[in-house]
Amino acid sequence: MISDALSIARKEFTDTITSKRLWLIVGVLLLFSVASTYSTIFQTITAFQQAGRPVASVFSAIATTMAYMAPLLGIALAFDAVSGERERGTLRILLSRPIYREDVINGKIISALTVISLATTISSLAAVSISILLHNVAVTIDDIARICLFIVFSIVLSFAYYAFSLFISTLSNKSSHSLIISIGIWIFFAFILSVISSLIVTAVLGPPPMRSFQAFNMFRRQPGNFTPSSMFPQEYLDYMRKEAEISSMIQAFSINYHYTQITSLLFGYATRPIEFGQGGRTLVSIPTVISTRLIDIVILIVFPIIFLFASYMVFTRRQEK
Amino acid sequence: MKMDLAIETENLVRIYGKGDSGIKALDGISIKIPKASTYGLFGPNGSGKTTLISILVGLLLPTSGSAKVLGFDVVKDSVEIRRRVGLLPEGFGFYDNMTALENLVFLATLDKIPLDQRNRRALEALETVGLKDRANDKVSTFSRGMKQRLGIAQALLKDPELLIFDEPTVGIDPEGAAEFRNLVKRMNREGKTILMSTHLLYEVGMVCTHAAVIRGGRLLVQGGVEELYQSVREAKGYRYELRVKPSGEMLLQEIKSISGVIEIRQSENGVTVLSKKEIWGELLTLVSKPQFKDAVESLKPIEPSWDEIYRFYQEGG
Repeated sequence: MISDALSIARKEFTDTITSKRLWLIVGVLLLFSVASTYSTIFQTITAFQQAGRPVASVFSAIATTMAYMAPLLGIALAFDAVSGERERGTLRILLSRPIYREDVINGKIISALTVISLATTISSLAAVSISILLHNVAVTIDDIARICLFIVFSIVLSFAYYAFSLFISTLSNKSSHSLIISIGIWIFFAFILSVISSLIVTAVLGPPPMRSFQAFNMFRRQPGNFTPSSMFPQEYLDYMRKEAEISSMIQAFSINYHYTQITSLLFGYATRPIEFGQGGRTLVSIPTVISTRLIDIVILIVFPIIFLFASYMVFTRRQEK
Repeated sequence: MKMDLAIETENLVRIYGKGDSGIKALDGISIKIPKASTYGLFGPNGSGKTTLISILVGLLLPTSGSAKVLGFDVVKDSVEIRRRVGLLPEGFGFYDNMTALENLVFLATLDKIPLDQRNRRALEALETVGLKDRANDKVSTFSRGMKQRLGIAQALLKDPELLIFDEPTVGIDPEGAAEFRNLVKRMNREGKTILMSTHLLYEVGMVCTHAAVIRGGRLLVQGGVEELYQSVREAKGYRYELRVKPSGEMLLQEIKSISGVIEIRQSENGVTVLSKKEIWGELLTLVSKPQFKDAVESLKPIEPSWDEIYRFYQEGG
């Protein structure tokens, strides 16, 4: 019954917003968002302003922070959601009430979605406010639409990790196991997969052409340099294209990669050296972002749905003695 | 006459796991628990008590067999059962960051107790278990015994007609256990049916009107406590303890001649008389005779201990 799920959600929400764990993560998220905004404004905004996109520059920095922090928020809310109740014995008390098992998991999901939405929105709005206050950055309707989409995708990313961690938590009897597995997956997707990808690229393509590599490094030392890619030797560009293809194939397994693909196009920031060489990305229209990144968006949305469904099935079918 | 039953199970089987490696936790349990009884479910750890209780409140599904609680089927109507049954599960816990009252009010919400009654009912339950003074203290500050009492309070919240306590006195001190037994007796007098699982033999004898002994998932015996005593008495003999003065030698000779008496032996507390049949009436008549009146200091029947009852049925009854 929805009223039972809401009663559980209300209690969960109160527990969560009074927990030190949540405030630690939200605090770090806010700190990084504010720090990113501040440093972006004073370091690179002139170049971006010249390119006519100051808000995009601020959010390109925040998107990088969010790509790391949003998953942690999801994991923090989910890793002990069910296993913790099992460990403390509170699940037995809950399930002895005249409620359905799905009410318990529904209540937890409703609460988590609310907390994730609030934390993500507050962090993003804090960044916008600082931009406006410190640098009189003009926010256009298009910027607001992009920020709204960014918030939605960030919520989905966080929720994807929530769903995964919840699934592990429903399977596990120990929260410590659930936490280790969830953090392990986050580390794999956020860090290790890119290292594996580089190793595979090097193994397949060999090292980059040295002369071209030195030329690229010289180019990188000039901030705001949007020199066209034609400045680079063809040999180097071919290498980087192949590298991007192989790397994308490998990193497509990571949910973080799909999020970065969407947000980088949304705010027009480069995610690969080849794109620096192409003068960064131009800010394309929102419909173009959606149509170009449709597969990434679908994957980002389907991932949490699969794990929520799996959690739901495991929890409702599992029998607690 | 058909007995009014609170719980009735028919050949309940529960197997954990699948195939040959499956463990049979319940092996054809058929019990009948009369309404308004205090029913002790006795058995050693791992005998299947918790599995049986979990099936009765719909937390576990039986592998086969059927069970009805207050007339509701445990598979089809488990929510209706939990609406009417107060359960104290084994190994339960509370939300430590909340106060005792907040915990109970939250659980009262899930019990569908109307909003305007939740606080009152929670306070009443806390008062019943002697925790009203600690209503606004966080559960994290509670001792194990206090948490156990809070567990009993949550089971009482909805004023259920059937209470199921799984190992209710584990972790509480002897004084707390005695208070709990008094509470059980009081609730039983109020007409509530109580099913109580325990591995402590003496608890069954102290509070229960009915009992069942299970071991290895099998029901060894069940019935009224008096019936269980009687079965053991009939099989092992009736025992009486007699204290006689040195002048009572003649009396002992007379007792020996009563039909059914098997043996008279010296014991720590005097003389134990063992008889094949009930001779209480004959003994009373004998000791009230003028010639023996002054020779007797005391006379009482000895009930079989629960330990004896358990061993008796474990050995096949």
